[in-house]
Amino acid sequence: LQVSSGLQDLSLRDRGGRRRDFHDLGVNTRQAMVHVQESKTGFSGKVIKLTTNHFRLTSRPQWALYQYHVGYSPEMEARRLRSALLFQHEETIGKTHAFDGAVLFLPKKLDNKVTELFSRTRNGEDVKITVTLTNELPPTSPTCLQFYNIIFRRLLKMLNLQQIGRNYYNPSDPVSIPNHRLMVWLGFTSSILQYEENIMLCADVSHKVLRGETVLDTMHSLHSQVGEERFRDTCAKELIGLIVLTKYNNRTYRIDDIDWDNNPQGTFRKSDGSEMSFVEYYKKQYNIEISDWMQPVLISQMKRRRGNIQGSVALIPELCSLTGLTDKMRSDFNMMKDLAIHTRLPPEQRQRELGRLLNYIQKDDNVQKELRNWGLSFDYKSVSFTGRVVQGEKILQSGSMFDYNPQFADWTKETRGVPLIRAVPMDSWLLIFTRRNHDVANTLLQSLSKVTPSMGIRMNKPNMIEVDDRTEAYLRVLQQRITPDTNIVVCILSSFRKDKYDAIKKYLCTDCPIPSQCVLARTLSKPQTIMTVATKIALQMNCKMGGELWSVEIPLKQVMIVGIDCYHDTVAGKQSIAGFVASLNQGMTRWFSRCVVQSRGQELVDGIKACLQTALRNWSKWNRCLPSRIFVYRDGVGDGQLNTLVNYEVPQFLDCLKSIGTDYSPKLTVIVVKKRVGARFFAEVGGGLRNPPPGTVVDTVVTRPEWYDFFVVSQTVKNGCVAPTHYNVVYDTSQLKPDHIQRLTYKLCHMYYNWSGVIRVPAPCQYAHKLAFLVGQSIHREPNMMLSDRLYYL
Amino acid sequence: MDKNFQEEFTQIIKFQPPLYKQRYQFVKDLVEKYKPKKVADLGCADCSLLWTLKFCSCIEVLAGLDICANVMKEKMHTLSPLPVDYLQPSERSLTVTLHHGSVAHKDPCMLGFDLVTCIELIEHLEESELKKFPEVVFGFMAPSIVVISTPNSEFNPLLSRVMLYRHPDHKFEWSQAQFQSWALETARCYNYSVEFTGVGHPPTGMEKVGFCTQIGVFVRKYPQTGESVPSEKPTEAVYKTVFKAVYPSLKDEKYLQNAVISEVIFTAQIIKYRLMSKHKEYSDDPERKSQFQPSMDCFSDHLGKLVVEKNMEPFVSGNEVYIPLTTIFSFPKVNRLCGTFEKLCKLIAGKVTLSSDGSAWLFNIENENEEN
Repeated sequence: LQVSSGLQDLSLRDRGGRRRDFHDLGVNTRQAMVHVQESKTGFSGKVIKLTTNHFRLTSRPQWALYQYHVGYSPEMEARRLRSALLFQHEETIGKTHAFDGAVLFLPKKLDNKVTELFSRTRNGEDVKITVTLTNELPPTSPTCLQFYNIIFRRLLKMLNLQQIGRNYYNPSDPVSIPNHRLMVWLGFTSSILQYEENIMLCADVSHKVLRGETVLDTMHSLHSQVGEERFRDTCAKELIGLIVLTKYNNRTYRIDDIDWDNNPQGTFRKSDGSEMSFVEYYKKQYNIEISDWMQPVLISQMKRRRGNIQGSVALIPELCSLTGLTDKMRSDFNMMKDLAIHTRLPPEQRQRELGRLLNYIQKDDNVQKELRNWGLSFDYKSVSFTGRVVQGEKILQSGSMFDYNPQFADWTKETRGVPLIRAVPMDSWLLIFTRRNHDVANTLLQSLSKVTPSMGIRMNKPNMIEVDDRTEAYLRVLQQRITPDTNIVVCILSSFRKDKYDAIKKYLCTDCPIPSQCVLARTLSKPQTIMTVATKIALQMNCKMGGELWSVEIPLKQVMIVGIDCYHDTVAGKQSIAGFVASLNQGMTRWFSRCVVQSRGQELVDGIKACLQTALRNWSKWNRCLPSRIFVYRDGVGDGQLNTLVNYEVPQFLDCLKSIGTDYSPKLTVIVVKKRVGARFFAEVGGGLRNPPPGTVVDTVVTRPEWYDFFVVSQTVKNGCVAPTHYNVVYDTSQLKPDHIQRLTYKLCHMYYNWSGVIRVPAPCQYAHKLAFLVGQSIHREPNMMLSDRLYYL
Repeated sequence: MDKNFQEEFTQIIKFQPPLYKQRYQFVKDLVEKYKPKKVADLGCADCSLLWTLKFCSCIEVLAGLDICANVMKEKMHTLSPLPVDYLQPSERSLTVTLHHGSVAHKDPCMLGFDLVTCIELIEHLEESELKKFPEVVFGFMAPSIVVISTPNSEFNPLLSRVMLYRHPDHKFEWSQAQFQSWALETARCYNYSVEFTGVGHPPTGMEKVGFCTQIGVFVRKYPQTGESVPSEKPTEAVYKTVFKAVYPSLKDEKYLQNAVISEVIFTAQIIKYRLMSKHKEYSDDPERKSQFQPSMDCFSDHLGKLVVEKNMEPFVSGNEVYIPLTTIFSFPKVNRLCGTFEKLCKLIAGKVTLSSDGSAWLFNIENENEEN
């Protein structure tokens, strides 16, 4: 499968690191599942005509790639010299070739299996080159696929697109958003893979947000915003983890640290051993004059795994431009709104932009020539096929049954004023607010007392406490006023201060395990929306205390559903957190939640095993038996990590089940959930393209033959294109039909209580995500187990 | 073929920095000294000298010529503009072009250059090509300066493993006397002066063998006849362009306009927020409100008059914020980009909302009270 190190260089490289197998090629999980050998397709639902962003790769009949080994006698060390010597024989080898110093790929077969060539070096040394055919690669071989991807990236480069990270962008026609000093480049993601029946190119429009200012500019404006005292901390918070481009090369670097004790006059050791100052170096190497000699220096760690060298690079803020968005920018509503206009393309426009790329490819002579030389071509019309739209679920709530409008996939209206399945009374609760928010607190209280009766929530008057707007004041009140009877604590915060929020959550999730609800005063300040807000808060609080809102029909009995998602603390780079959520009852209305906090380098799987054990214990406590079926929905698996998951995590699950008892052997299904996929589907409606309706299932054509996988579009979006979620069943002893797994998955997307509608992933995954996020962002250690039977993290 | 690379391996004498780098540095120093605007590198091979030169801020046109298109193509993408060049367009303009062709042929695209470099080129030329070379470079292209470097054969005994020539493709390698007589003759013939130097010092005690690489710097003795192509040099294009990159520059109206608008809007936003927060403070605080109110009335009553006076102060009126263009023009960055007030008006015309008389920028703040 490995092409060889040199050719990998040609392809995509991780920053200074090893190329990863992003497409999880060669992980063949379907062959072990006998019941889907013949067919992995479902049957229920209405047929819908779809198109996609996949394009068939067509190559000439009997196309093959010929792989040769190239040997030198005497041995030649330098790679560039090796190529130079080999290509003295272009008349034999041909103009089209890819060579990495040892392995040569040609689109043609040389006359003999072994070809001997003779070259002479500049110092008159005669060299014998032996070119030996080692492999004839059929178009579907993994090496060949990898090769297609390399060739395609070459084409994008030939089209003068700029590589940033993994994708290519068009710099000549940027959209600028001057209000926020942002620039958006339109680009493309591409991957060529073997799909169900054909090798196809999956291409999608991608947007790169770039900033028209240097890191130094950003530092200056931060300085003027926060002042000297908090300057360094703020810089670290804002800048560490961001990706920068430099003025002088085409690389991207991640800011890992800021060295405040250094400046451009500082020196570094060059590869030849001499010392040189940054000022001098940039002047000499790139003719760049650094104007600010007092700025600090940015540090970027190089992840070079070859030889295990952990080097770091120093960068000058003035010479670096920022890319992407910071969390702060993401939370800026106006900025995101302005950006969305340019990045959220509706289906037709998205396909049009994609068409433009294909047009460039078709029109460019050089690109066409390169393709022709390799004997490759593309079908410029995207693939059409059919999917199925499965029926919407009936929402069950306290004896009533509701249908929802499938177009909106939302039942807020339908269930308004209907009693909840289980309403937890608020007999004793605290409402904490600052002096300024006294009125707001009263408004909230009044609105809550209006909306709770119809839900069936009994609510007593709270203990209303006024505090100073300081973190310590909040904490002191919590310490003094919480009693063993307290059901929930509601805090009205006057502004969003993360440290205050974190402190409250940390205290109430660990030291003093009580459900809590924080509300921003601003959210409650608009009279026209207060009832809607109060309704949402009432439902949310109810869930946090262990209440149940609605349910859908689950035909399987004795089943436990598990959701797992991970949160990686990218800023501190220190820990990973896995959220683990498992169902406790038949209606999937109650969940057991735990999480694993892992420092860098440790495998998450050990902690997950322990979670599964406690989850099973709890399930048996609730149901007086052990589940006979277990479904694990595993989210948070990165590109290229599938192999690890299949080979390490799944066996650990099985081990764990074995350890419960010798006579216990439940059926286990492990499904990898992936939200970030390149595939997009469009419904053909009256000659135009629309987003496919929620419930659309795709399990043919664009799925992978070696997997038991399918796509579900479960949610709706207001603008832009809906992204399907990819489900890959990597292990399955359930013997269930694919149709049943698909239906179960879609049902679970209805069960997330923070949203009265269908979401993108099964509810346990979203719960696990919420939990891991709260712990990773605010709590940083495992919450108190007392809370584990409630959705306290919603 | 990579001549630089091999040389490193064959030396018994190690040059520090490597000889090829010394040659590039020599050219860079020359560029620093003469500040040429248009530079051509003949025999540019893998474009590494061109890549070095693209960072020299005086150069606006860079051209490369080589007989082998594949060698050029291998690394030509390093000559493309970087993302940052688009994000922060530079003041200077820069166009980089690569041509496929021979130095024995004339092509009008090589006219009008200030500096032509021929680094380790002539020794690769066949006798017939070498014969035509002076006429093409000195007679036809006729730049103000020509730099020619070539191996000094007297140095070869000091290099290990050199059998006949330093590279199998070399057609000849000259002694100092051979090179100098050729150069002097060429200079005389085309009215250039020439000075000899080199890089790669010989070991102590062996100074008489001369530099490892000998260099001739030719300077044209007569002034340039004219900016454009002289009419007596009619030639057809024979080179094939294999690469062309136009760097984004503020000299290009499109980029200038983007830069100005982006700067103007950004700074205006800051002024607006400052103004708004002041405004809000005032209206929040009843005591201050009384102070602020009269001035507000004053603004709305005497709006016309104030505009005539070209008041520099931005102000709020109802749901609208006015920022006079004169204020905007006084921002240092905007000022530097536009140069004149008229230019500013021209660049932002149609791109932003102006007040009815066109003297101020007008923001509507009504729909910006969105919560977030």
